[in-house]
Amino acid sequence: MTEERTRGGTAGVEAPVVLEMRGVTKAFGPVKANDGVSITLGRGEILGLLGENGAGKSTLMKILYGLYSPDEGEVFVDGERAEIRDPKDAVSRGIGMVHQHFTLIPALTVAENIVLGAEPRKGVSLDLAKAIKDTEELSERYGLRVDPRTRVADLSVGAQQRVEILKALYRKARILVLDEPTAVLTPQETEDLFSVLKELVADGLSIILITHKLGELLGISNRITIIRDGKVVETVEASGTDEGALARLMVGREVLLRVEKTEAKVGGPRLSAEGLVVLSGAGAKAVDGIGLEVRGGEILGIAGVDGNGQTELAEALAGTRPAESGLVRLDGEDVTRVGANGRQGRGLAYVPEDRGAKGLVQDFSLSENNALKTYDEAPFSKWGWIFPKAMRRRAAEALRAYDVRPPDPDARAGSLSGGNQQKAVLARELSGDPGVIIAAQPTRGVDVGAIEFIHRQLLEQRARGKAILLISLELEEVRSLSDRVAVIYDGRIVGEVGPDATDEELGLLMAGRTGGEKDA
Amino acid sequence: MSSRLRRALVDAGGALVFPLIAIVLSFVLGAFIVLATGNNPLTAYAALVRGAVGSPTAIGRTLLGATPLIFTGLAVAVAFRAGLFNIGGEGQLYIGAITAAWLGVTLGFLGALSIPIVLLACVVTGFLWGAIPGILKARFGAHEVITTIMLNYIGIYLTTYLALKPLRTEGLVPGTDAIDFAARIPFIGLGLGRANYGFLLALVAAVVAYLLLWRTRRGFQIRAVGLSPGAANYAGMGIGANTVLALAIGGAFAAIGGGVEVLGVYGKMTVPFVTGLGFNGIGVALLGRNHPAGVVLGALLFGGLASGAQEMQFSTDVPLQLTSVLLAVILLLVTATKLVELLFGKRARALAGARLEKGLG
Repeated sequence: MTEERTRGGTAGVEAPVVLEMRGVTKAFGPVKANDGVSITLGRGEILGLLGENGAGKSTLMKILYGLYSPDEGEVFVDGERAEIRDPKDAVSRGIGMVHQHFTLIPALTVAENIVLGAEPRKGVSLDLAKAIKDTEELSERYGLRVDPRTRVADLSVGAQQRVEILKALYRKARILVLDEPTAVLTPQETEDLFSVLKELVADGLSIILITHKLGELLGISNRITIIRDGKVVETVEASGTDEGALARLMVGREVLLRVEKTEAKVGGPRLSAEGLVVLSGAGAKAVDGIGLEVRGGEILGIAGVDGNGQTELAEALAGTRPAESGLVRLDGEDVTRVGANGRQGRGLAYVPEDRGAKGLVQDFSLSENNALKTYDEAPFSKWGWIFPKAMRRRAAEALRAYDVRPPDPDARAGSLSGGNQQKAVLARELSGDPGVIIAAQPTRGVDVGAIEFIHRQLLEQRARGKAILLISLELEEVRSLSDRVAVIYDGRIVGEVGPDATDEELGLLMAGRTGGEKDA
Repeated sequence: MSSRLRRALVDAGGALVFPLIAIVLSFVLGAFIVLATGNNPLTAYAALVRGAVGSPTAIGRTLLGATPLIFTGLAVAVAFRAGLFNIGGEGQLYIGAITAAWLGVTLGFLGALSIPIVLLACVVTGFLWGAIPGILKARFGAHEVITTIMLNYIGIYLTTYLALKPLRTEGLVPGTDAIDFAARIPFIGLGLGRANYGFLLALVAAVVAYLLLWRTRRGFQIRAVGLSPGAANYAGMGIGANTVLALAIGGAFAAIGGGVEVLGVYGKMTVPFVTGLGFNGIGVALLGRNHPAGVVLGALLFGGLASGAQEMQFSTDVPLQLTSVLLAVILLLVTATKLVELLFGKRARALAGARLEKGLG
């Protein structure tokens, strides 16, 4: 290659091409999710597929795996035109997919899950011994450590992911697609995963890695194809680029990756919890005796791997889930027995992690969503009646102020992109001038541009003396925004560090290893 | 403002397209059945339309048939907005009917003045009766489909017992005493035959249902709970309270329907009483997409077909049951959105309402 970057998808492939998608177009209604997308994948290559949420990466991969049929375009596997009508076709062509949400059956063992649907048989019955042996061989060969006899329910998330990969390998996948594989992993687990991926490509497999995390791709992929608004913007050599350049390509403009933070002017305690115990939906202790304190003018970050009690903690603090025992204080007042409504009234704003099912009523208009908590107050309501006109007027202002697109109060919330939905939630929660803000994963599934906006908003609230509790799975986010970082593991705060703690320090805490015990 | 009006019109248009296509298709299919019975479809359909809207009497018959279905349709629609399937319209209507039959006689001396009191009593009994499955659901997690179905039997047999034993009158027709004519809902007149002012009450009920759902705090909560229990809980709304209220309000609507049947049509609760009004209300609500305006239109279609069928049977040999077939096909097409997709493609299905499907799923 004479130049480092070339337009289009055929740049920089020296190895034989194992997969080519050519001119793929797929429209959903008037929206073109993919518009003439072409990518190539060389043998033994890791191709990064980078794009904001809704850019069309997932659609493209679903087409490749036969979950969607393209309106136009062709797929070539090993230079041969491939008609992929369903996942079965994809598997028979040697394409394997590791979805973001795992497709394992928790009650079955690892080996059973892996052979499911392609079971080795002895007569009419399942040859379990062979299944276990096959699994062991595969896991040995690629360093995918996992015990075939364990039930999947007993595995960590990282191990479950390894099972998913083994499942694809068992089906003789030579092209492996991983969709946001690191979203659920600790930094150490991510490293493990990447070293496995390197083993796989060294063995001749080819990998497509979908992610929106810029840094990761640079470390592991050979080339990176950037998709924006359904089109391929550019394909670059990973060695010849940097995070800033990738972010610019992804968003289409200059992006501030580091947030500017002013000195904290810390006030008195505003939100605190003591010995808080909260049960999960299944009745287990999800939060097991947490104490914390958030003071005015500071951001307390809660770091941790998904599923360690973050959801339940946020909900118990916000009042949407009852506390089993312990205390919650808001501005000194014991609000443990006060419902979500009462806590809102006392100036608590809550940006829930699941805007789809909690933060917004998808089939409500934006104006109704904007009044979701204040529909029963003036000027929206009087004597039991509600006034849609007043709601609409107020919503129009809020939507403009928070740059929600479209700023149309009559638009259905569900019709907005993830980032704009989140901005709509923020508009509602912050426009009431709350004293305390609980932000649970405020940028999950949100594009880079919106992330920047949301971070700025949170810091602005901090500068105005608000107490902010930030719960996030994104380590980078917690670190760059927080004044203090508490790490949650298995329903407990296992340590508190400053925002300048190293990845390793945080990673160990996130894996539940506190100071003394090295190999728990 | 005008863009909002335009959007509302487009929405309404979109909502109407599918039922209309379904109606046309069902008539095409019905034509083959008519042919199979050895009749001319055109003659049969001409008679059907004549019988539904061809004369003031025919229109009166249509309105008469539509009236209770508007009430039972609203009973289903209001509950559906809270994400609940009220299959209990039949029993709720019977509860209203027995309330009206009893109080109508007891308060008969008040004349026309008794009518609002009796109907108000129907609201109360229907509300309480409807609250039962709501409480069972909110408190114990019993699925409302099962409990409302079962409560139909209890409601029907309880009222039958009351009509046959404590409230039984002497006479050839078993049932309660006849209500004084002065205490009954009067006929509209204008050559509309037996159509009574109950139809206007039904229209008022539809408007009330609309205002309740879209213009009150309670309606806001009910709709939020129905569309997203998670978000409603997040916003601090009580899921349980709204579940109970939505089913209770639905029960009240169905019960007025029963009261209007007794006060306006039969003058008493006979045994057996008119059947199927509650169940047809489900079809009416489905056809009307659980919107009060749609419920009114759906009920008019049901009423019109029933009325026209009599004329059709009279002037041709086509049996009454053909209209049941037509209705079944219409409902099948309106609800089976997947089928619509197969016939007309995906865009059509989006129009047909993925929302409905979500609710049913």
